[in-house]
Amino acid sequence: MNPIMQMLSGNNNGATNIMFKAFGAMMRGESPTDFLKNLAKTEPRLQGLNLDNLEGTAKDLCNQRNIDMNNLKTQIEEFANSNTNL
Amino acid sequence: MGESNFGTWIFAFLIVAVIFGWGGIGGLGGGNAAAVGYATMADVNAAINNQTIQNGLNQIALSSANNNYETAQLITNQNNTNLINAIQGFNNLGQQLMNQTNVLGSKLDQIGFQMENCCCSIKTLIKDNQIADLTNQLSQANNVAVNSAQSQYLLSQMGKWVANAPATAAAYTAAK
Repeated sequence: MNPIMQMLSGNNNGATNIMFKAFGAMMRGESPTDFLKNLAKTEPRLQGLNLDNLEGTAKDLCNQRNIDMNNLKTQIEEFANSNTNL
Repeated sequence: MGESNFGTWIFAFLIVAVIFGWGGIGGLGGGNAAAVGYATMADVNAAINNQTIQNGLNQIALSSANNNYETAQLITNQNNTNLINAIQGFNNLGQQLMNQTNVLGSKLDQIGFQMENCCCSIKTLIKDNQIADLTNQLSQANNVAVNSAQSQYLLSQMGKWVANAPATAAAYTAAK
């Protein structure tokens, strides 16, 4: 299953709600930086990250955790382009 | 749309996915729903509506593709009709040209015949004039010849009279 779909289907703690909130914010045309900065007020794990450079921060996080960012990005894009998974 | 477009949002999703993790990727750790608060109904509806919008867009794209196909078919059919009409038009034009050519050929034949006729008439008229002229000249020559002969006769008669004039009436009568 697409990892984003797993988030949305509630197979993990917290991520489902966050992803729903993120999609809601995106559809309302909000800024992703503002969304994460607002989220960081209550989520300590986001604190200390450079949220003004989301691309650089995402790359750093993936490198630190040995995650294939391109693969993850592709999966997110596939989800966004999909019209049959929900 | 600036920073709120998907191209930028995807990095936000990446950060959320890496920080809060999910089961499929493994070892990324769990999230803390209580800390971030739950998604509102508006958030959930917006996320699902996103999918609805995509479905709608796909249907629009499909409809558009169908319309394009139908339009292309209509254009192709119209092009074929136009082509057939053009070919028929050329055929008609060719037929008309051939008819006109035949008419012109016939006219040329008539003109040729008329010219020959006219030429023949002129030649005949010239010959008639020549014959009349020659006839006239011949008649004049005849007149000259007759007059000359008569003159010669009269002169000869007169000469005889002058040379041997009768001395008396009886001699005159006898001389006649």
